[in-house]
Amino acid sequence: MLRQILAWIVAIAAGLALGGASAWAALTVGVSGFSAHYGAWSLNRAAGSTAAGPYTRAIIARYGLLALSSREALYFNLERDEHGQPLSESCIYDLAGRDLATRWWSVTLYARDSYLARNDDHAASVDSSRVSAGDDGLWRARISSVQGNSVNWLSSRNARRGFSLTLRVYNPQRDFAPSEDALPKLTTVSCASPS
Amino acid sequence: MSGWGKYIVAALLVAVVTHIVAIFAVPNVLMNVALQRLGGGHYNAWHLGDRVTAASRTIVRPSPDFAYSACPYDLATGPVRIHVAPWNDYWSLSLYANNSDNYYVLDDREARNGVDVLLIRAGSAPPDHETATIVPSPSERGVALIRRLAPTPDTYAAAAQVSHTDVCAGAAR
Repeated sequence: MLRQILAWIVAIAAGLALGGASAWAALTVGVSGFSAHYGAWSLNRAAGSTAAGPYTRAIIARYGLLALSSREALYFNLERDEHGQPLSESCIYDLAGRDLATRWWSVTLYARDSYLARNDDHAASVDSSRVSAGDDGLWRARISSVQGNSVNWLSSRNARRGFSLTLRVYNPQRDFAPSEDALPKLTTVSCASPS
Repeated sequence: MSGWGKYIVAALLVAVVTHIVAIFAVPNVLMNVALQRLGGGHYNAWHLGDRVTAASRTIVRPSPDFAYSACPYDLATGPVRIHVAPWNDYWSLSLYANNSDNYYVLDDREARNGVDVLLIRAGSAPPDHETATIVPSPSERGVALIRRLAPTPDTYAAAAQVSHTDVCAGAAR
């Protein structure tokens, strides 16, 4: 009798675990259907969308909660360098781009937990109102754990390994067409060798 | 059915039900968490968020370039009146249903001098002689969010000052 009760408990617990895990996996895998890729950048089309079904709605809630619709803003994410490696605090990167056909844009650095990196550098973002293009028509920002002599700086201090960048494009113009060439390009300058 | 078969079938049935319940519950659960965090359980009043810093842990991926004001609303006792004061740079008012749908957005290009909105429950009759923009909400509860572009401490302080004249309150008041 006791053995039967235990068997039922195990069966129900296994069902709960399997159902929860499969739902989580469905959302994780399903979000790729909402991404468009432009070089290293991916556009989260789930953000701000209205839903067409329960899976769509759940994916939007998990990955685009309280985001704006694409008419108002576009959200691009970058998680890997030009070699396909996760972004790391131990590396120095250059981010360079041309002016975008939009009213305002910003690039913000997030730690792996999707919050701002825990530092007091007040250098979590650069935006179109604070950077200007050089003679070659490109604006540049340095991504590193110390500012050094960089003018436009995104601090990766305490962001550790696996941080990401979000490019926000507000009020994109009608002719704004995302492409690998149009979006800012990330280049690895150097990485500290593991000690 | 004998042996382990009935237990395997039961586990699979529980798994299917759990999967379906989880998928349907995720939007409302996440929205309710967001409503709680944004308004602390209070409805129909604006809550100006602190300037986003490394210590901000309310909503994932916050932008440090905006001053955010949130009003979790509840239409149970009638319409809710929203006033957004103008701001000298980009601002927007966005409305979200309790299932996370962003069903309404308005920005300063369309309302340079601010906006007055009367939120009503979808399907209910709008009041007569109303001058505000009437917006039907697909759910009884949801959240209104104002974003004001304020990328520096000084502009955030100015946006915070302006936000004191925003209104989110029951229309009967």
